[in-house]
This record gives sequence, C-alpha cells and structure tokens, in this order.
Amino acid sequence: MGENTNDTPKKRSLQRGFVILGLLLLLIPLVFVVSLDRRVTKQFEGRRWNLPARVYAQPIDLYVGQTFSADRFNAELTRLGYLPQAGTARPGSFRRKGERVDVYTRDFRFPDGPQAAQQLRLDFVEDAISSIKGTNGADVAVFRLDPLMIGSIVPIHGEDRIIVSPAEVPPLLPEALKAVEDQKFDKHHGIDPMAIMRALVTNVRAGQVEQGGSTLTQQLVKSFFLDSRRTLGRKVEEAIMSVLVEFHFDKPDIMNAYINEIYLGQDGQRAVHGFGLASQFYFGKQLAECNLHEIAMLVTIVRGPSYYDPRRHPERVLERRNLVLKLLADRGVIKPDEAERAAKKPLGIVDNTNRDANYFPAFLDLVRVQLRRDYKEDALKAEGLTIFTTLDPLAQQKAEQTLEEELHRQDTSWRKAAHGLEGAVVITTPQTAEVIAVVGGRRAAFDGFNRAVKMQRPIGSLAKPVVYLTALESGEYTPASLVNDRPIQLKLADGTLWKPANFDKRIYGRVTMVRALSQSLNLATINLGRSVGLSRVSHTFEQLGLDRRPPAYPSMLLGAVDMSPIEVAQIYNTIANGGFRSPLRTVRAVIDEQGKPLKAPELEVSEAVSPESVYVLQKMMIQVFERGTGKPARAELPEDLVVAGKTGTSNDYRDSWFSGYSGGHLIVVWMGHDDYSETGLTGGTGALPVWTKLMSTIGTTSFEPVLPDKLEDRWIDYYSGRETSNRCNGSAVSMGFLVSQILEPSPRCPPDLSYRDSSGSSGSGAATRPAPAAAAAAETITGEDPPEPATDQPETEPQTAPQP
Amino acid sequence: MRLIRLGLLLPLLAFAGCAVKPFTKEAPAAPPPAETTGTTVDNTGQGPVIAPPPEPTPPPPPPVSQPQVVVPRPPPPPRPRPKVPPAKLSPASQSLVTQAQAQRKKGDLPGASVSLERALKIEPRNPLLWIEMGRLRMDQHNYAQAEALGRKAISMSAGDVRTQSTAWQLVGDSFRARGRNPQAQEAYAKAKEILLPPVEPSTKK
Repeated sequence: MGENTNDTPKKRSLQRGFVILGLLLLLIPLVFVVSLDRRVTKQFEGRRWNLPARVYAQPIDLYVGQTFSADRFNAELTRLGYLPQAGTARPGSFRRKGERVDVYTRDFRFPDGPQAAQQLRLDFVEDAISSIKGTNGADVAVFRLDPLMIGSIVPIHGEDRIIVSPAEVPPLLPEALKAVEDQKFDKHHGIDPMAIMRALVTNVRAGQVEQGGSTLTQQLVKSFFLDSRRTLGRKVEEAIMSVLVEFHFDKPDIMNAYINEIYLGQDGQRAVHGFGLASQFYFGKQLAECNLHEIAMLVTIVRGPSYYDPRRHPERVLERRNLVLKLLADRGVIKPDEAERAAKKPLGIVDNTNRDANYFPAFLDLVRVQLRRDYKEDALKAEGLTIFTTLDPLAQQKAEQTLEEELHRQDTSWRKAAHGLEGAVVITTPQTAEVIAVVGGRRAAFDGFNRAVKMQRPIGSLAKPVVYLTALESGEYTPASLVNDRPIQLKLADGTLWKPANFDKRIYGRVTMVRALSQSLNLATINLGRSVGLSRVSHTFEQLGLDRRPPAYPSMLLGAVDMSPIEVAQIYNTIANGGFRSPLRTVRAVIDEQGKPLKAPELEVSEAVSPESVYVLQKMMIQVFERGTGKPARAELPEDLVVAGKTGTSNDYRDSWFSGYSGGHLIVVWMGHDDYSETGLTGGTGALPVWTKLMSTIGTTSFEPVLPDKLEDRWIDYYSGRETSNRCNGSAVSMGFLVSQILEPSPRCPPDLSYRDSSGSSGSGAATRPAPAAAAAAETITGEDPPEPATDQPETEPQTAPQP
Repeated sequence: MRLIRLGLLLPLLAFAGCAVKPFTKEAPAAPPPAETTGTTVDNTGQGPVIAPPPEPTPPPPPPVSQPQVVVPRPPPPPRPRPKVPPAKLSPASQSLVTQAQAQRKKGDLPGASVSLERALKIEPRNPLLWIEMGRLRMDQHNYAQAEALGRKAISMSAGDVRTQSTAWQLVGDSFRARGRNPQAQEAYAKAKEILLPPVEPSTKK
C-alpha cells in the first residue's frame, strides 16, 4: 500500500511534468507571438498616418490703417493658393486692379469656430490699407485670412517627416509599388511563400543575397521594428510580425503606412523616410504634384537608397528607372507610349537649396517639442487634429534668406576661419511671447540638426545684461555707479589661475555701469558680478526663464554658460517684455476633428524682476547701439528705429551671438562652426549684421520703454556718471533713476533744473523733455563721442576722457 | 602716380583698421587709474571699487566713495511727469474686444481668448487689451494670472492714471476672488487714490 501510494504520485508527477513540458512547448511560441503582437499593435497604433494633424501658420489679420501694401497682399494670397479670378468669383479667388483688390475668401474652421467664405473689397493707399468693405458696402473693421498650412505631423512621433494622407498620394504610386515590389500584395497574408522560395533559389545560384523576396508588409515591418541584420531568426520574426500586421490592419492602411515609413535616402545626418519627404528632398515639390517619371524614380530608390542614390549615381538610377517604367507598361499599370515618353525625361533632381518655400522643419521641430510638453499624450493621439501655430511665414522666410546670404558673404570673406559657418535664428514677439520664426541651420529646409533648439553653446557676453540686472535689482547700483575695470586673478577649483582680460586687452579703470555694459568690459563685469554675488546672478538666469541655474563660477559672468538660441530668446524675451516672464510658445490652439479645442496652457505671465530694474537695464542696452559694441549697426538701421541688445563672443571666437529687440520683435542670432573651431568673428562682425538686416526688413516698431512711476529720466555723463545736460555735453546719455536718487552734478555742464522753477506751471513739458532741436543735436553728436571737456574733473578721472 | 599710390593705400589702411580690431573699441586706454583718497580700495582683488550713489533715503548721506568733495544738494523735487493720455483701442482691436466680450457672455471662453489674442497681435502694447485678458482669466477662475496681467497693465500704463486705476480694480477683484480681502481693499484704494489730483506734488512718492 505504501508502495502504491508512493508510486502513484510519482507517476502522476511524471505525467504532470509531461503536460507542463508540452504546455511550455506550446506556450513559449505563444508568448513570443503574443509579445510580438503587442509590439505590432502598439507601434502601429502610434503611427497612424492616415489622418495626421494638420499644422497651420498664424493667420493674417487685416484692418484699416495697417501697413500692408497691395503687392504684399497679392503675394500673401498667392502663397495661400488663391487664384486670379477667372469668370465669376468663387471662394479662393481674387482680382486685383492697381490699388484695389477684390477677394473671395475660403471657408475655414478656426479654433473659435468656423468662418464662412466672404467677398471683400480692399483699397490701398501708400502701402497701407485704406478701406475694407463687404459686398453690401459696409465697412469691415478687421478680417482674418485663412492661414497657410505648413505641414502634417504625427504629434507624438518625434521624427521630422512630411506625412501624406491617402488623398495626397498620387494613385499611380501604390499601383507602381505593387507592380514592382509585391505583385500579390492585394491577396497575400503578409508573406508570399512562393516569392521567398524564388528568392532563395536565386540567392543560392548567385551565391549572394540579391533578391529580397519580401512583401511590402515585410519591408514595412522591417523598417518599423527591426534592424537590417539578415539572420534567419530575424526573418522568422519578420514573417510572424507581417502576418500579425495583416491580421490587425487592412490593406489600404498598410499601404499608406508603407508610403510614409519606408527609407528613401540620406540627407547628411537625417534619414529621409516616406515618399512625402523624399519628393521634397529629390524634386523640391509635394508628392501630389509628382509626375510619372518622378514616381518611377522614387519607386526605383526603394530597392536600395544608397546604391540607387540619384545624386551620386544618376546613370545607374536612370537606367533602372526606365526599367521600372517598362515593367509598369508590361504589367498594364501604364500605357506603353506613356512609359516611352516618361523614359525620355531626365531625372529632374533639384539642387539641395531649391525647395518648397513653405516647409519649415526647424519650426515644426519646436512645435513637436512643445506639443509634447504642453498637451496630454492621449489627446495628441486623436486623429484629425488641427494645430494652430504662431509661425509668421514672412518673418520666417526673411530669417532663412538673411542668414543664408550672410553666411554666404562670410564664405567669400578674407577670413578663412569664417568659411563654411553654420547659423541659427529665433524671432519672437516679446509681449505675447510667441515664437514667429526658427531657423536651425544654413540649409533651412534640409538639415536635420536644429541648432536653434538642440544645440547649446557658450553665450559669451550675452550673459552680461543678466549680471547688470542682478546689480540693479540689489538696489545698490545705478547706471551712474562707478565700477572698477582692473585686472583680476582668480584661483579656480582645479588650482589653475584664471586671468581674464578685456577684449582689447586694455584696462579702463573706473567706468560707469552703463559704459561697462555698452562696451562689454570683462574686468568691470567680473568685479561687479563678484561683489553682487555669483549665486544671485545665477538665480537671475532662472528668474528670467532659464530652466536651470548655471553653476555659480566666476566664468559664468563672462558667459561660460551653455545655452541654446531658443533659451537665449527666452531670457531676453523677459527683459524685452518689461520684466514679465511668459514661457515662449509656438502653439496657440489645437482643435480635434469636431472642432473642439483641446485643453491647452494659456498665455501665462508672471513678474520675474522689477519693472524698474528692467527699465534701467533697457536704457543701458540702447546705449550698446549708440556707443558700444553695437555701434557699427546703428548706421545700417532705419534712423528713427530705437533698438536695444547685446553682442556675445565666446572664448577664442568660437561663437558669434547677437540678441536684441525693438518694440515689436526680439531676434537672437548665432553663428559658429559645428566642430567648435574658431570663426574669427565677434558677435559684432558675425551675428550682428544678420540681426540688423532682419530688424530693418521685418517691419517692426521702435522700442519705447514705459517710464515706471517711481523713476525719472535724467541725463548723465557717459564717462563720469555725473548728472549733466544734453545741451552742453555730447556725452550725455539719458538713464532712468529713482526720483529720490541723488547724483553729483557735473560742474562743467550742470543738469538743466529749470523744471524746479516751472513746476506746476504749464511749461513742464519743455523742462523735462529735451526740446526737439536739442534732442536732434544730441543724436547727431553721439556718433562722435566727444570727450567731456578736460576741465571737468581732470584730476580725478583722467581715464574717462577718451582720446580722439 | 602719388595719387594712385594714395588711392591704393587708403582702402588698404581702412581694411587693416577693420582687420586689426573691431570698430567698436574705445579710444586707447588711459593710464591706470590713480587711486583717489576716499575710494574704497580693495587690495585683495576681490570686490570692485564702486561709488554707489546714495540710495533714496530722504536726508542725503554724504557720498561715501565719490572721489571729489561733493557739495550736497537738496533732494530735487520730482520732475512733473508728462501726462500720458488715456489708452485707447484702435477700431480693429475694439471690434475684436467687443467680439470677445460677446463670447465671454455666451460662456465661450476659448473663443474669447482667440479674439483677444488677435487684438494683441495688432496692439501688443495696449494695456487695455491686457486688462481684458485679465478679465477673461477671472471668468476662467485663474485669479493668479488675472492679477499678473493686471500688474503688467499697470506697468505698461505708467502715467496714464485712468488705465492704471482700471487695472488696480482688476488686481483687487483677483484678490477678492481668492478671499484675500485686505489685499483686495488695498488694491481698490489704489484704484481710487490714483485718480485723485496730487495735493502736493512734492510729497508724492
């Protein structure tokens, strides 16, 4: 009995063991398949190409009195695809007669609701809109054009590509793909055993891997999930996944995914995926506009984008393209005479610089980053979203063009080190904190590396306004405070001795704060920054909107802080915005398929630094152009345009920066080499000319800081800091001071205090504001920098009198 | 011949001038500064020598580090501020503000936001639009933002007492909505006080 009882469990456990083993044998592949299945569905769901989000630039609002010429209106309408009216007016058409334009706008769904098509008549006088009337003759106060579409993206997918929906694909393309790559596509279940067998035979015969025998589905799976190793294991995995894909998705979905996914070439560091991007890359046009011979070439490339690279091996590609055309004719996709005509055409590859004018990858890149930052992932997964951005197409084009021109000018300059430079530009509108243009490199439409967002470089003297702002915030300094510009040696943490010097290796002695900042004096800045406190300066960076505090080393004061151009734009935007910080944004609204807005973060404002300190800093930054490192640009700018800014040059001329603003725009420009080699350029010789050209052409307004209640403007001598008058002192600069601030008067040219006698009387205006004539006079003298007469404290401040 | 040589030389010189140093540089450096008595001398090389002009305290303390004997002058009476005319909306932004107000009434707050942003594109520096935006934030129960926008409007409209008063009103409302009554009362008082003509301009802070 004992034996029996012992035996039975043994037998049982043995049986159980077999069952478990059997189950395991069944289970392992099952688990494998299930896990593959999960990967397939997850990945595929995340890349639904059929209804990508459509991205729009900001719409143009038109109103009476706006500076907007008939020519520009004509150009904008053309850019939007409006056609000159032929016959009766219809939505999307216009008719121009000299200074009058009749336009029939299109229906468009904006985030605040649909806007119906309407007929309008616009009259222009001297490059401005003089009247806008509706069909009934009624005045229209303001109206909004439908915005420019700038791309289709899959928001949760980080890559840069041009997504095409089935409607945007020429019907010929899927037919051609099937005919050439996978004739049984419509019938098979993911794999084509016959094709595999055939391929096997051919390969064995040829002794090498020549023919894939892969279905389109397999190719798609390989591109989606697998690397390009060709092992047997991979092949099995690929086959299972292909069957799974076919199981879950229907043929049109798979075809569209294929068209958007497949690898079609290499553009520098960027892989060209999808036919949408490829048609831009090779032909500089949209896929929908491609003709038979162009489609045939794209289909040719599928087989091997590097072997069939049309720029490197045009003859090889031409030969195979014509073979493809013949095949298409043989298989009845096209007519033989069509094939013959197409075969006579050249490849038609465009130069890299020739491209669709409305493709702005660097801006779209930032849009993607901010979408993922500001919106819930689930919300972004919805199909058919519409994304309204802040892009200003005109400013964007000007920025791309100007940067390209200036880089080209550097290419041909005598400075060898400045040849082949790269660059980046960011433009914002400070009050609303909107990014209206982003240029990520000299080949704005092609290069995948977005320097405006992804590159961080030392900002050089762009850090100085932060140092001076910290000093002003401490309440212990004014623009008239004297700072010591004298040599300093600092022992660094690693034991080395740091001996910073001024740019021109000179020592300036005691200088006013305004002068130290305008002329970007290093020694004065280090002394100032150290007495204010490194950690306080570091904190100010964060206050202004940097997402981190730079390490509080003394070298931070001279800009040994790595930042991207967009980060620079953020901190300077806070300065330009009167000390109010708003996170820079590129997305105004997102609506779903039904037109309902997604929950989005709104324009946010917080007071980062006191408006008084910022006002004083701004007045000092205006002097950068009047007397400091920005002076060469002054003559290039429109005479009455007031701007403020700062140059930046990093160690050994590796980075050339300029960041500055007018009343309406902030522009940040960077130039340098990707490999950190020297450029031979300062901020003033490299980035500043780009900045100046842009500022002069984007149609901006003067910077007019509003005098805070607690402050008043006073004239001080730029060199000595003594209070003076602009009527007798050519070195007088207007700076903001607390009303109660006591300043030492200049004995030679004392301040004009006539307001004391006239206070309360009507003549106050004349006393506080310089008479126009006097102001104009001061304006013209500033260029000369005439020294304060030597009789004005020659004994104490000899160093303040510059020699001619 | 000489002329030609001169002609060759001049551009060369100009070129060399550009090449050698950036045009922005100052005139040659003066001799190192003579340390003057009365200056704070920092021989450790640590802090800078600064002559901070004395700060706003009413009785002017003797300037510590000014190099010269200074004849103290009495605190100057504040200069009369030039009167800033009250802010006004342009017809275009007025029509958008009217539209935004109608949208707010209907409860279409995102729509109102879009309309106001359009107006801000046209007149970004008009404080009235920022006050409107603040009112919208009140409707959205975003009181902290309403306050911030009110403060921004105050800062933008220095000298324009009417607009500032309206903005203080908004700031007050934002405090009241958050149950911070003392601060609300303070803001309302400011809104009133600012409209009163200054009795004695010299005592105005």
